[in-house]
Amino acid sequence: MAAGFFAGVLLLCALSLPAAAPALSWINDRTDTNRWFVEVSGLGASALKELRQSNWTPAQWQRLLTVHAEQGDLIGDIGMPPMSGGYAVEANRVRFTPSFPLEPGLQYRASFYPDKLPGDGERGRFVTAAFKMPARSTVATTVVKEVYPTAEVLPENLLKFYVHFSAPMARGHIYDHIHLRDDTGKDVELPFLEIDEELWDPGMTRLTLFIDPGRIKRGVTPLEEIGPALEEGRRYSLMIASEWKDAAGAPLRRAFQRRFKVGPPDREAIDPAKWKVQPPKARTREALTIVFPEPIDHALAQRVIRVMDGADQTLAGQIMLADEERRWTFVPAQSWAEGRHAVSVQKTIEDLAGNNIGKAFEVDLFEGVQRRFTNATVKLPFEVR
Amino acid sequence: MKHIVRCAATVLAVGLFSTIASAEGLKDGMKEGKAAFKSMGPLAFGPEGILFIADTKSAAVIAVDTADTKAAGAEKALKVDGINQKIAALLGTATDQILIDDVVVNPISRNVYLAVSRGRGPTAIPVLVRVKSDGQPEVVSLDKVKFSRGELPDAPVEGVVGEGNRQSNPRQESITDIAFFQDRVLIAGLANEEFASTLRAIPFPFKTVANGTSVEIYHGAHGKFETRSPVRTFVPFNIGNEPHLLAAYTCTPLVQFPISDLKPGAKIKGKTIAELGNRNRPIDMIVYQKGGKDYLLLANSSRGVMKFGTDSIEQAESITTRVADKKGLGYETVEGWKDVNHLDRFDEKNALVLRKGEAGALNLESLPLP
Repeated sequence: MAAGFFAGVLLLCALSLPAAAPALSWINDRTDTNRWFVEVSGLGASALKELRQSNWTPAQWQRLLTVHAEQGDLIGDIGMPPMSGGYAVEANRVRFTPSFPLEPGLQYRASFYPDKLPGDGERGRFVTAAFKMPARSTVATTVVKEVYPTAEVLPENLLKFYVHFSAPMARGHIYDHIHLRDDTGKDVELPFLEIDEELWDPGMTRLTLFIDPGRIKRGVTPLEEIGPALEEGRRYSLMIASEWKDAAGAPLRRAFQRRFKVGPPDREAIDPAKWKVQPPKARTREALTIVFPEPIDHALAQRVIRVMDGADQTLAGQIMLADEERRWTFVPAQSWAEGRHAVSVQKTIEDLAGNNIGKAFEVDLFEGVQRRFTNATVKLPFEVR
Repeated sequence: MKHIVRCAATVLAVGLFSTIASAEGLKDGMKEGKAAFKSMGPLAFGPEGILFIADTKSAAVIAVDTADTKAAGAEKALKVDGINQKIAALLGTATDQILIDDVVVNPISRNVYLAVSRGRGPTAIPVLVRVKSDGQPEVVSLDKVKFSRGELPDAPVEGVVGEGNRQSNPRQESITDIAFFQDRVLIAGLANEEFASTLRAIPFPFKTVANGTSVEIYHGAHGKFETRSPVRTFVPFNIGNEPHLLAAYTCTPLVQFPISDLKPGAKIKGKTIAELGNRNRPIDMIVYQKGGKDYLLLANSSRGVMKFGTDSIEQAESITTRVADKKGLGYETVEGWKDVNHLDRFDEKNALVLRKGEAGALNLESLPLP
């Protein structure tokens, strides 16, 4: 029987009678301190016996013992359904175990209606007990750590940003907090592809923000009316408001601003023949370096470039990107062996405008389609001496 | 002023499906036990009370036998104000910790199923909630149900990537819509790294291995240069007697292609039949019959709910030149259907919508089909 009785927050309003005096308690689960349950003690033996034998539905149990999560609005709380949970009779007590952990900062109220007890005998009076979970700290600690690409000049047909946070963030209505401001101080209207699902990584510390493909200027004819999101020669700021809450419910410690200039569009496919591979020395753990002639997508550069040894086995090691994502380095876990190696790159790698290897972002659809959705790779051999 | 919408074309990969449904029952391959979810995304009902639930975080679609197969009684309207507040109370949390990610109607029982996220961070708990005709929400327990899993083909492998230099794989493919059609589940998705929009078909009942190879679909529009854009929502739909898919893209071309074209190695050219304008996101689509005619309803972010007569879809000419804002198929905006977040068919005569009410409330209500 759990004993972590939380007297400090417990508000017990029992009016006891000598024969049967039901009492309500909120009990902390010893095995999982995040879990709480409600117990009714002081029940008569015959009532307990009947309850043990009863085959009540959840609705029947809820008439006897209900637990509500209060939203702080007395009128609004009327008619709200009781909390979902399981009922059991254990060691002369009726126990309600909530289906979900309690929410910090929220007040819960358990109410016991003895007139709904089965059988005859003394029932005692209505009791109710409120319990408030201590609120979470709302001290703002989370910040935007970095936004990629980091280059000062971005192509007019930029495809996406990655926003990295120092801690997990909260999902829902995120686009309200992100603005693209032009050099006249005006917000660009709807520049991003707003997707209800929101493109987070599983840990929710990285958000992918695509520029709406309908707002990327292409060809020679300018977009009319709404215009492109980004225009060559102008300056912009990506602004992230501090009101955006992290997963713990606290706002960001400070707002974030990234200023950048927009350069000409990039409509060229990536050509790895233009990459400079700088081989390391044998029997060292020197970094293998690749210098790209243009910045490469931050996420893909880390995921789709691999280093293979002479037997075509993938080598383990650390990947780093530097110099505005133009310099890729790989430090192997083991010393380099002498001989032939290769850098293997999936053709789906992208530059800042979404161009792939051998295929520009904009293509005639009936050309080059074969290259999609394959894991085709390009190999760049190098020699370790 | 005009503007040009040029986000139309896309390249879609469709996993192959078995061509013929075998004689086995749809539930034969299901196991009984706890159906575990990391997330709950789009929902779709198949036959026999089978609910397909997309789990983006697991890169899978789970088919759950809801056993909810008792036919609905007489037609009865449904209206639940503040369903998000009621669900918050049911799940013992605050309203701002509830996100409703999809809403569908079981076509047999007319019970409404909602994919709910309890919490908004990475530890949020996905919960399936059902609303019956009494308007009260209840948690659908998935601890002991019959279910089967369909893993997404080419799904990213969880765990270490990049030669041991990183502890987790940040790549994830968001499932933006699913539908059941004949013997397969159709799944639209969008990755959070490479810009690849996919539409897959996986056979149902799910097979343990082999999800098939991919074919590619794309549609030509707007001249030579095309870019890719994600499918936001789609609906299987008969044109003449031939099943088609009607797909709405994030920047709103409406595209159709015959499902029979989805064959190994095929290059499919979809037909762009309408441009619905910029500053606009499609949300959900349904098809229905009224007065012997077929109609399509499309809910979207800025133009309310649009109604199309589908006889005009059959005759629609493909849009192949750059267009100024709206073009193609004519539509009417359904008056009074504002701020719709989700849309499904409720019964023969009614639609079900989840829409914004007062002071942050979301209301669930059936509305007569226009």
